[in-house]
Amino acid sequence: MSNLALEPAAPSFRSRAGTLPRRTLLRLANSRALMLFVLVAALIAAMSAFYPNNFPTRYNIAAVLLNAAQNAILVTGMMLLMIAGGFDLSIGSILALAGVWAGVAVGWWGWPAEAGLLIGIAVGGLAGLVNGLIVTRLGINALIATLATLTIYRGLTYLTAGTGVTPIGDAFKAYGQSVFLGVQTPFWVMLAVVTVGAWLLANTRFFRQYYFIGGNARAAKLSGIRVERLTLIGFVIMGLLAGLAGVLGASRLNSAVVSAGINVELSVITATVLGGASLKGGEGTVVGGVLGVLFIALVQNAMIINGIGIFWQNIIVGLVLLLGVSLDRFKHTHRG
Amino acid sequence: MTARILAQGIAKQFPGVQALDAVSLAVEPGEIHALLGENGAGKSTLGKIIAGVYSADAGQVFIDGAAVGAIDEVEAGRLGIGIVHQEGSLVGQLSIAENVFAGRQPTGRFGRIDRRAMRERTRALLADLGVTLDPDLKVAQLPPAQAQVVEIAKALSRDLRALILDEPTAALTLNETERLFEVCRTLAARGVAIIYVSHRLAEIFALCHGVTVLKDGRVTGVRRVAETSQDELIRLMVGREVHFARTTGARSFGEIRLEARGIAAAPFVRDASFAVRAGEIVCLAGLVGAGRSETCEAIFGARRLAAGEVLVRGRRVRFGGPWDAMAAGLGMAPEDRKDAGLFLSMDVAANVCATVLDKVSSSGRISSTKADALAGRFIRELRIATPSARHLVGHLSGGNQQKVLLAKWLAMEPDVLIVDEPTRGVDVGARSEIYRILRDLASRGLALLVVSSDLPEVLTLADRIVVMADGCTVGELDGATADEEQVLRLATRHTRVDALPVAA
Repeated sequence: MSNLALEPAAPSFRSRAGTLPRRTLLRLANSRALMLFVLVAALIAAMSAFYPNNFPTRYNIAAVLLNAAQNAILVTGMMLLMIAGGFDLSIGSILALAGVWAGVAVGWWGWPAEAGLLIGIAVGGLAGLVNGLIVTRLGINALIATLATLTIYRGLTYLTAGTGVTPIGDAFKAYGQSVFLGVQTPFWVMLAVVTVGAWLLANTRFFRQYYFIGGNARAAKLSGIRVERLTLIGFVIMGLLAGLAGVLGASRLNSAVVSAGINVELSVITATVLGGASLKGGEGTVVGGVLGVLFIALVQNAMIINGIGIFWQNIIVGLVLLLGVSLDRFKHTHRG
Repeated sequence: MTARILAQGIAKQFPGVQALDAVSLAVEPGEIHALLGENGAGKSTLGKIIAGVYSADAGQVFIDGAAVGAIDEVEAGRLGIGIVHQEGSLVGQLSIAENVFAGRQPTGRFGRIDRRAMRERTRALLADLGVTLDPDLKVAQLPPAQAQVVEIAKALSRDLRALILDEPTAALTLNETERLFEVCRTLAARGVAIIYVSHRLAEIFALCHGVTVLKDGRVTGVRRVAETSQDELIRLMVGREVHFARTTGARSFGEIRLEARGIAAAPFVRDASFAVRAGEIVCLAGLVGAGRSETCEAIFGARRLAAGEVLVRGRRVRFGGPWDAMAAGLGMAPEDRKDAGLFLSMDVAANVCATVLDKVSSSGRISSTKADALAGRFIRELRIATPSARHLVGHLSGGNQQKVLLAKWLAMEPDVLIVDEPTRGVDVGARSEIYRILRDLASRGLALLVVSSDLPEVLTLADRIVVMADGCTVGELDGATADEEQVLRLATRHTRVDALPVAA
């Protein structure tokens, strides 16, 4: 990880005054990614020790990774938007819309599978472009704009194919169901997206500009950074990634489901914030966001293995989020 | 007579900083007492302790001889201590009346707010201060000076015995400042003890009776204003004599780098024309609200140009945004460094590199080595006092933040640099350094356009002074021979100049 503008400055003289445990806690709180990594590792170790027959099996691990794939792809785009001080609530609907268009193209019109994948991703990109135009050209704030398109895109999904498309086709399903090294394709696609995304965001001049926008949009504009254009591009990237997640999901199930991705925006934003983003913008890393997804997936998996009901799972995930963010408060009040 | 406000042996520590150390202060009823010092000297902290916003680590505050313990807003109100904060404490979306009676609205039966009583009492309070304002107006619609008066009315809505004003004129024009002074004198005549926190010397001489000077959290002197001089106060503030020598006209100027011809940008800029040559410092002088900052923004492409043309090196340009202006060799350090200039939550290196991300990258990839090297160069050249290039800019003092802002723009090596209010909120020591930096840049051939509301600063820096009023350029003066009165006469055009306090 490069450290320009990304890591908080070397602990200031204030934090040095603390006692040893507090200093350790501060260092952990200062790097959310590191904290999450420790938590994920601890959770894996504990689960492996207590449930050697259920947890560390190839089947279970593959299932956890596959389930995390969709959200990790989405979190990459969401992290970019949140670093710039925005976010997108419509991703669940974009995901369903993209899946349905891919399904319609391949299942109904008989297009080749690859064309279906591309059209799905393109639909996602287009939906993202519309979001971006509403935010940057009409000047409507991202919360309201994407809240509106959340329902609009979902409506379009029902209009396109009211009952969904099942099955889509064997050539199409191969893209989501083929197995490599014991895990299905969506995981490997996710790994590629996340790796490239993390590298770009940490290292390139182009993406580094998003940190400046989130840090102070007005100063960024006066520094010659094209805030509006970059914001628009951020929404398009988010849309493309949601489209990608949508077609992968449809391909994995061999079915375009109109209700796919409902509420996914909330769990993705949860993971993004847990991974170090703030609503004010200017901070966060893709690695942090992905670890956030992984952590939530592991917590849910652990609770399933423990036989804890779905209602409790929701409560626990909420508490984990609050805990993560209160560490932030601790960090800020003790750094001044 | 016992002192109305008496503070004895006040000490206050913030993490890593001894903000106040054994500070004592006494203010009589009816006295306007200045609290003077550089930024970070502890003036605001002392004011806040007296008003009960902070609690002191040691020492005691007495109001009319009675010891005051740790108090809060409500308790301070009951004791008759009011404070008008530097940052302001008003809610823009609410009406004047609601702000004045925030949390203490007069109520009728069942706790219903008695709006009529609230309006009437607000109107009376404002009239007391010599202002006629509709109490139902939203505060967000008011100009800064009137908002300031509402702040005072809010403090006055209690039975006031002591009032603390923390840098009240920072956002005010000269006329508004004079108005505020009248209000202060009226209050003092009624026996209110006023503590006036400021670092503007001229205001202290125009308004105050006594002055306590702070430096690094300690009292360095207590004087009667009538028995002291500006030089003595500056010496007490900085511990040394400071003289800002005027620019000598020895430099030679090159070709015209930037020219504005009749530019207009609604609603603040109507007709501005001037030129800046290589190696020249041109100051845009005028009252607050004359449209100077807006003129700069219009030139820099940050504000839409409605009419007129901008020429860079004799060629007509049309900028779609600041990025185009930067490509043409222009830089602009804006007025409000916190809001528009800097990324406070980022470190020094990131701020310095914000304008030149391509310069610190190779084939699109940011190199932190290059970024650190560039930041390090400017930290040395501009003598930025920071522990490292990785220190957060928000933790630096005002003067050092201003230097980071300059570094950010010098990093792009502009041909023309616009600097809007180069020393606002900057202490005297850093101020003279910034002057040195700007002069040095000009002597190296940079064309500098400096906006400043501070007349001595304009006279110190300018090779040529362009005066603006009501959105128009109204005259030019030679920097070497102009005096404050000439500038003011142009800036105020038909307004009366005699009673104006002169900002120092």
